[in-house]
Amino acid sequence: MSPAPAAAPCPHEDPGLQPERTVLSWGRTMMAFCTAAAVHLRWLPTHGGFVLVLFGLSLSLAGGIYVSQRIRYARAALGVAGEKLAPDAISVMTTAGACMLLGVLGITAMLFF
Amino acid sequence: MSHPEDPGERRRDALSHRLLRGGTEPDPRFTLANERTFLAWIRTSLAFLAGGIAIEAFTGDLFDLPVRKFLVIVLLLLGMLLSAGAAVRWLNVERSMRHRAPLPLPLIAPLVAVGGAIASGVLVVVVLTR
Repeated sequence: MSPAPAAAPCPHEDPGLQPERTVLSWGRTMMAFCTAAAVHLRWLPTHGGFVLVLFGLSLSLAGGIYVSQRIRYARAALGVAGEKLAPDAISVMTTAGACMLLGVLGITAMLFF
Repeated sequence: MSHPEDPGERRRDALSHRLLRGGTEPDPRFTLANERTFLAWIRTSLAFLAGGIAIEAFTGDLFDLPVRKFLVIVLLLLGMLLSAGAAVRWLNVERSMRHRAPLPLPLIAPLVAVGGAIASGVLVVVVLTR
């Protein structure tokens, strides 16, 4: 019987596991976007097809977070290992902007559709 | 002031270069902690947005249309303000850390308290006067 392959070494030595905690936090946010997308579908019978824009936006955000998780972890782990990490302004501003857009589209759907 | 040839500076994207001028990169653990706090506020904002939609979707038999509309718009506006406030706070905290300055007070915390109290107050009044 061949021995089990050795686990890949952890790229950082932070006992506080900051990169892992941050990636998990993004994962929880992804699930919150999925939940928001599902709740938006409840408006479909009363507000029509416009609601699909809100559904699509929420789901796209969740998908964007999902596909970037591996890169995000590598970036954070290498940053902690090298003691230098650039702030992720693009992800932060995109997420906040998408939430504001969801609010604007929700109010539009409520008032005009 | 950071040197333009600093390797850490070169790793930064154009948006963070524009938003976060000067100072030095803080401890990466603090940068990640700031990001997690931002995400916690974003999830709170999403809870307000989803709550507004749920009120419209599930309380048709309970509230009249004007009350429903008011509650939904208040909750959606709160969600929007919270997400904008979360981004501004992330930026202010990141700037403070780069310049070794005291961290700013969280102004979005009283916003959640006041907004939540208004929405809850309206709900209590409407339920009691039905």
